[in-house]
Amino acid sequence: MTASLARHRAWSAPCPRRPGYRGQLWLMLAPYLLGLALLVVVPALVGLPLALTAYNALEPARFVGFDNLVELATDPIFRTSVFNSGVYVALAVPLRLLGALGLAFLLFRPGRGVGAGRAAVYLPTVVPDVAWALLWLWLLNPAYGPVNGLLALVGLPGPAWMVEEWGARSAVILMLVWQIGEGLVACLAALGDIPAETLEQSAVDGAGVWQTLRGVTLPLLAPVLLILLFRDTIFSLQSTFVPALILGDGGGPNYATTFIPMWIYTNAFEYLRYGYAMAMTWTMYGLTALLLFGQYRVARRWRLGFADAE
Amino acid sequence: MRSNGGRRHGARATLRPLAIVAVAALFLVPLWLLVAASLRPLGRPLSRGVEWLPRPAAWGNYPAVFELIDLWRHAANSAFVVALAVPLTVVVASWAGFALAQLPQAWRLRLTLLSFAAMGVPLTAVWLSRFLMFKEAGLLDNRLALVVPALGGTSPFYVLLFLWTFLRVPAELYEAARLDGAGALGVWARIAMPLARPTIVAVAILAFLHYWSSFVEPLLYIQSLDKQTLPYALQALHQLDPTNWPLLMAGAALVTAPVVLVFLLGQRYFLQPFRGQGWFGR
Repeated sequence: MTASLARHRAWSAPCPRRPGYRGQLWLMLAPYLLGLALLVVVPALVGLPLALTAYNALEPARFVGFDNLVELATDPIFRTSVFNSGVYVALAVPLRLLGALGLAFLLFRPGRGVGAGRAAVYLPTVVPDVAWALLWLWLLNPAYGPVNGLLALVGLPGPAWMVEEWGARSAVILMLVWQIGEGLVACLAALGDIPAETLEQSAVDGAGVWQTLRGVTLPLLAPVLLILLFRDTIFSLQSTFVPALILGDGGGPNYATTFIPMWIYTNAFEYLRYGYAMAMTWTMYGLTALLLFGQYRVARRWRLGFADAE
Repeated sequence: MRSNGGRRHGARATLRPLAIVAVAALFLVPLWLLVAASLRPLGRPLSRGVEWLPRPAAWGNYPAVFELIDLWRHAANSAFVVALAVPLTVVVASWAGFALAQLPQAWRLRLTLLSFAAMGVPLTAVWLSRFLMFKEAGLLDNRLALVVPALGGTSPFYVLLFLWTFLRVPAELYEAARLDGAGALGVWARIAMPLARPTIVAVAILAFLHYWSSFVEPLLYIQSLDKQTLPYALQALHQLDPTNWPLLMAGAALVTAPVVLVFLLGQRYFLQPFRGQGWFGR
């Protein structure tokens, strides 16, 4: 069967192997492209019209125009969730980025304990979200938790963590700052891509450690740092979900850990308001895009600053 | 000048291991406290202060978790998902990476950009649509719904990892195999994959961690408790008895142990990108 097919092709096509090979490559690519289309592109597009409807998945969707967006604008909990997500992005994302970068500088060059150190730093990242959140629920127990126990050892009063609004927000940031293994790997890889000669040249030119860092290393790392910044910003919109569900017991106290995904989830899967939740999803897209654009503008200005310093 | 440099180097050489030990300890302490809390005898009143190692260590907490929830069943569900999803992910992602590496430059660039764009779509944005799609397809409350992303290679990032690996292989090797009459699948299986072993291990581990830990997908797509995977079971245990810390921590440790084991076995494949080797080394 295959033999006859091959003979047929050889007979019909003037140059049989090349187009056949190219076609085979496209076939190998097909599952991935289909997956992207069906699991990412189509879901995103299907959602767009749904944002203009009232839909509870039991009755047919009813067109309501821009009602959902109007309601969003006046929804106090949505406004709180935007504020919470904003606080997270403003505090946790820079902390995670600086942490990953600092640890990468420490753990880059080969040496004693470097391999074990890298593994230790990465280890919290592999802990399943739910287990990690439950662990921190225990660690941050206001009365008996080890964190407040440690604080008491050095004579500091422990906060009530998940009972107060800012305590709860800090708790979520704290537990996610530990999971920076992927950022570490990306920074290590970026450091590995800097040619040794460039650094040696800088040293020969008499540049100190700090000057080399500012004038050579950081500008060369800038693209990777920017990608990490974007990625962390985008993922912060989903990585807060499990902490909010478990530490905040569904977004509490007083909606302090109701980040945008938590409020989307609550509306969609508890109130069965799919249309409204979809409008929120698209608003989140828009806000994220705005944020990324702002970060890009700032980063570009920083990079120009680096170039001037040289 | 020289001696000064040497002394400075000497000081740094002793400080660096100390800093590494301190950092390692900082990141390991939470996990140590997880194990310590799981070994606390049940019923002993909670005490203030930090308990680094309970005496006597109550190992019986671990079997006690199995009596509270059917952990074996949930572990079997998790194993089912991982056993299907991880090999599928490796095959589909490596096919796509291989094809991208062999296609003309213009297509490679376009599809790489598309992959980066797709990585930027937060899962939050597709929860709802995927839920509705699975509902239409009759996949709700079916464990296969959890495997579906693997049919598309799970993450564009894995495809890019394979692409970067296959681009490093000299093109003549592929050409030679093709001239021997191998088709695209043949070149992939005989030339590309054997040279990509570190990347295969890294992607397999990352995919394993992803599917084993995934919580939101089972939460959304699976309704029956007996079809749920381990992370959901852990949350169920939490809701069953929210303040029984020793049992909760024992459950968390049990769910975490396999990923830690897999990670420690394979970590060198993706934590050692010293110059010129590893993931991105070119």
